[in-house]
Amino acid sequence: MNGLIIFGLLVVLMLTGMPISIALGLTVMTFIFGFTQVPLESVALKLFTGIEKFEIMAIPFFILAGNFLTHGGVAKRMINFASSLVGHWYGGLGLASVLACALFAALSGSSPACVVAIGSIMLPAMVKAGFPPRFGAGIITTSGALGILIPPSIAMVMYSVSTNTSLSGLFLAGVVPGIGLAFMLGVTTWWRARKNDYPRMVKASWGQRWRALRDSFWGLLLIAVVMGGIYSGLFTPTEAAAMAAVYAFIVAVFVYKDIGLKDVPRVLLSSANMSAMLLYIITNAVLFSFVLANEQIPQHLADWLVNMGLGPIAFLLVVNILLLVAGNFMEPSSIILIMAPILFPVAMKLGIDPVHFGILIIVNMEVGMCHPPVGLNLYVASGITKMGISELTIAVWPWLATMLVFLVIVTYWPGLSLWLPHLLLK
Amino acid sequence: MFMRFLNHLEEWIITFLMGAATLIIFFAVMHRYLSGIAIPGLQDWLLSLNFSWAQEATIYLFVWMAKFGAAYGVRTGIHVGVDVFINWLQPKNRARFVVIGLLAGALFTGMVAILGVNFVWDNGAHHVFYKLFGLNMEGLTEGPVTPDLEWPTWIIYCAIPLGSSLMCFRFLQVAWNFVRTGELPKHDHGHVDGLESAEADALQGAKA
Repeated sequence: MNGLIIFGLLVVLMLTGMPISIALGLTVMTFIFGFTQVPLESVALKLFTGIEKFEIMAIPFFILAGNFLTHGGVAKRMINFASSLVGHWYGGLGLASVLACALFAALSGSSPACVVAIGSIMLPAMVKAGFPPRFGAGIITTSGALGILIPPSIAMVMYSVSTNTSLSGLFLAGVVPGIGLAFMLGVTTWWRARKNDYPRMVKASWGQRWRALRDSFWGLLLIAVVMGGIYSGLFTPTEAAAMAAVYAFIVAVFVYKDIGLKDVPRVLLSSANMSAMLLYIITNAVLFSFVLANEQIPQHLADWLVNMGLGPIAFLLVVNILLLVAGNFMEPSSIILIMAPILFPVAMKLGIDPVHFGILIIVNMEVGMCHPPVGLNLYVASGITKMGISELTIAVWPWLATMLVFLVIVTYWPGLSLWLPHLLLK
Repeated sequence: MFMRFLNHLEEWIITFLMGAATLIIFFAVMHRYLSGIAIPGLQDWLLSLNFSWAQEATIYLFVWMAKFGAAYGVRTGIHVGVDVFINWLQPKNRARFVVIGLLAGALFTGMVAILGVNFVWDNGAHHVFYKLFGLNMEGLTEGPVTPDLEWPTWIIYCAIPLGSSLMCFRFLQVAWNFVRTGELPKHDHGHVDGLESAEADALQGAKA
């Protein structure tokens, strides 16, 4: 009963369009004030202690690292490297876009930024080379979402924080599905291009490939700094994030010289802006899940579902549908912070691996960002391609269908995500 | 004049906190590894430094950054909500909901600011100020201190009332501007620098 009041309140407040963090906070306030004996003062303490964890601080650091590298120059280097590798196959520029998106999104950590950066360079080039505009638009919209699956990923930090799952396990578990999804999007691109006989590029020589690799190498090394640092035990994930931020600063200012020292305060400010927004949602989401836990709602839900005889297979199906629907209204961080604390206890009761559960949620978030009617990537792509949402919907369907197939694979094949972490962490 | 000063102060504070936290962790990690290498002179000096407070300091810097950054975020329009439904409405009704949303923000942050003041007061500020002014201290105890830095927690917790009241002010300011001019700050999530030159280069490359 209390659960219904809480969620009813939250939904009503959210539908008025107020910021999600405020809707969460007001729900908690109203509920505590009106329906329980919990002292209101404990809310103030929670507002501070909610984010008083060193693990959470990986988020601002990763955002800072990403912002230093979210630059047209870095996008261009990734594109050159990707085109030199796969440009000579069918749909060359398209395949190169998929690969460049995967690389750039992993570095910048922002899907919409990836759509804009790779899109505004690649789309004109593809149209010029004779590809239909829809083909490029479909690729860019969907591939831009790859970033949150390939570590370092802020969405994974969110999941790790809200469920106490090991972040290093999640990062490792994202690698194989990340490559797998990029590969499947590539296969779809290749198959469509071959069927329609789209142009290919001249095969790059090994010398060109070497030069392109050398150019993009310093950026890509960031992933190695983070992953290597964490798995060799040199850094904790948060320290790795801070090292990545300093490394990204050095690469952007002194190696690539994309930005000057005078631009650094601006990058710091915009990163702080973004991080503060996410930390504010976290703070209020912590309050929200504190109230849920206080009312024992996740446990009741878990008991109820288990008593209904819901097995893991049906449960995961329900989770996926629920999250896909939620993906229409909110961005990944908010969905994870609100839904994970509720769904996680049920998943644990049904014996689902916490890391696997996290990866399937992340893949689901990726699909949610590009599926109509309201995915963030669709909106951003609509801006740079000058296409309406309905035309983009037609444009993205082959890749969107690929992603949905991949979502089913990830959901029902835990080994795909768990193989690498089990190999390296045990 | 005062507004310009406040805006700059806000930006300056969060920029500084972001940079400072990054450097502290960077140096703490470098210190941990460099002090293990036997370089005469340098090693002794490094071992004499103590970085055990770094983690705690970073957390506090970031919490302060988060509270003031959230207020800055109201001004830049980065706090987004579910706008699918209100976007369907007539512009006039939509405007009503926008104002309701902004006032709700002001209400919540205002409540938190008041709670925060009480909390800080009961957490040691009461004791400190009464002692300072030589008032009746009967029944008052000193507030707790943080584990590593041993700073009074009430100073650290000041982030809640200060940040939240600033945020409340920003919500009211944005609401007032919206009612007057109909304009809302909007954050561009897809903003990428350096694309103009990159595009030109790419086209050059395609020609060459």
